[in-house]
Amino acid sequence: MAEIVLERLAHAYAPGAPYALKPLQLTWRNGGTYALLGPSGCGKSTMLNIISGLLRPSEGRVLFDGRDVTALDTGVRNIAQVFQVPVIYKSMTVGENLGFPLVCRGAPAAKIKARVEAVAERLGLAPILSKPANALTADLKQLVSLGRGLVREDVAAILLDEPLTVIDPQLKFDLRRILKEINEEFRLTMVLVTHDQTEALTFAEEIVVMNHGEVVQMGSPTELFERPETEHVGWFIGSPAMNFLPALLEKDRIIVPGTDLSVAAPAALPQGNLKIGFRPEHATLSPMAGDLEGKVTRIWFEGADEVLGIDWNAHRVKVRVSGTSPARIGEAVSIAVPTNRLCVFLDGRRLHLG
Amino acid sequence: MYRQKYIFLLPGLLVLVAIILFPLLFTIRVSFSSWDVYNPGLNWIGGENYARLWEDARYWEALIRLTFLTVATVTLQYTLGFALALLVWRDIAARRFFRVLFLVPMMTTPVVMSVIWRTIFHESLGPLNPILEAIGIDAQPWLSDAGFALAAVMIVEVWQWTPFMFLLLLAGLLSLPNEPFLAARIDGAGPIRTFLSVTLPMMGAISVGAILIRLIEASKLMETVYVLTSGGPGTATETTSYYIYIRGMRDFQIGYSASLSLTYLIVMSVALTLIAKALIRLMVKDRT
Repeated sequence: MAEIVLERLAHAYAPGAPYALKPLQLTWRNGGTYALLGPSGCGKSTMLNIISGLLRPSEGRVLFDGRDVTALDTGVRNIAQVFQVPVIYKSMTVGENLGFPLVCRGAPAAKIKARVEAVAERLGLAPILSKPANALTADLKQLVSLGRGLVREDVAAILLDEPLTVIDPQLKFDLRRILKEINEEFRLTMVLVTHDQTEALTFAEEIVVMNHGEVVQMGSPTELFERPETEHVGWFIGSPAMNFLPALLEKDRIIVPGTDLSVAAPAALPQGNLKIGFRPEHATLSPMAGDLEGKVTRIWFEGADEVLGIDWNAHRVKVRVSGTSPARIGEAVSIAVPTNRLCVFLDGRRLHLG
Repeated sequence: MYRQKYIFLLPGLLVLVAIILFPLLFTIRVSFSSWDVYNPGLNWIGGENYARLWEDARYWEALIRLTFLTVATVTLQYTLGFALALLVWRDIAARRFFRVLFLVPMMTTPVVMSVIWRTIFHESLGPLNPILEAIGIDAQPWLSDAGFALAAVMIVEVWQWTPFMFLLLLAGLLSLPNEPFLAARIDGAGPIRTFLSVTLPMMGAISVGAILIRLIEASKLMETVYVLTSGGPGTATETTSYYIYIRGMRDFQIGYSASLSLTYLIVMSVALTLIAKALIRLMVKDRT
């Protein structure tokens, strides 16, 4: 159990090559749950491998509880990692798999037995301890992988590299619940790498959104949802994505021409490409003349909600309405968005307005 | 339903009958005849050939010798091949060069290489004995002493076929997923434990495949013996197929050699099936 600090960390796979991970500074407190969220190839696995010690960063340091572990080998860092593909030692039983990290560290047999039994009990693997691990289903194999991490009492953090990707949806839910319970019970620092925002938003207290090797924003799920720092975050987080409409400065207000959407402009506004964004969840259908009028071109059914696709000036605006909306495809509708829900982006970055 | 499928299968079936079934059935028939150089033809002598074979100590000795040669050389090939494959598996300097170098023996013709090896082993003219003497080891009667001749055959076999093992096992190693090795590192396993707990179990299936292919091939060992020692001195390096060759092609006892071949075929089929089952049970852990 440890606090993890990434100090001026950066990585390039070859000297002179472009950064796979741009310089960053992060602190993960002990016992927290974190998610690294981003599209494939954004550098999240690189960051995870640096923390676990499988990769040595080209710049900066990794600190566990203030101790510099940058040069330490994986085995002595006391990290547990669960991979995307369930990894089990196929020649061993479930019990032998769970005990393997302790066997490698030369723990006495009685202690190994006790730890394996405790962990198996906790993960619900106790009835199958003597079964060959290779015969298990993918989700159970993933539990065994996790168990190999938990079996060490001094484990500093558990790194989860897209561990739920190959699991069936129903079991995914169970496994996520188990992970959460484990975190609460053992107060283990857990870092989940994923490209699935639902997974990240439901699992982590804090989410690190990455893109092109750069940490774009770090914050709680609510922060990311309400106040995305960049257009990319607004687009990546939330389903459907945030709506963005081209805006321009008119006198002292930023407006979307042809609509009533407008925000007071800050005193000194640099030149650049302006956009106004709002969440589909924050827009409502308005019976009277609203902020924006368009034609419904598509309706997506989403259980208790409906998402309306509304075409306006060659843009498609999405609005989430609860229940069944009275609007029909082809019908003209008017929507309203509260001014405090509007975000302004200048060249892709959010403007902090008063 | 779909009766016409047989029409499409017919050409294939005909070829199969012509090249596999017919020679086999013909051999069975010949083995019950006394066809030889004096009385060629298909007469019927019942099981006489098989009774003679049962008493033929030279045949059974050759079979036991072959078993020893096969098991010993294939074990050596597997061990050496695996070691070489592990050596060039990871990033080392000139990895491509070594990979090609190790394959050269396999690409040479067995007969040609046996001739070269016979020259190397030659007691007075070959280079091997002077080299041994230069490093302080006495010259050895490589091809005229029973034990050394057997060793010479084994050396050539191992030299020629280790690359095949190397190739298959290297392909196997390269196809292994990386995650188990990362997991083993994280779990704190050292190189030996990683090899025993991760590499070897994952290589089980391909190992069995490679070993079986080599066992089947090695059990037909003939041209190396023919060129290197001609089965000698005496019958010290005679293998089953070489003995059958002597009876059939040199003595022209066609009927008798047919019965030898058939017995050999049955013994090999049964033995290799049992070995395959045992190997799979021992080495392949993928079964669920």
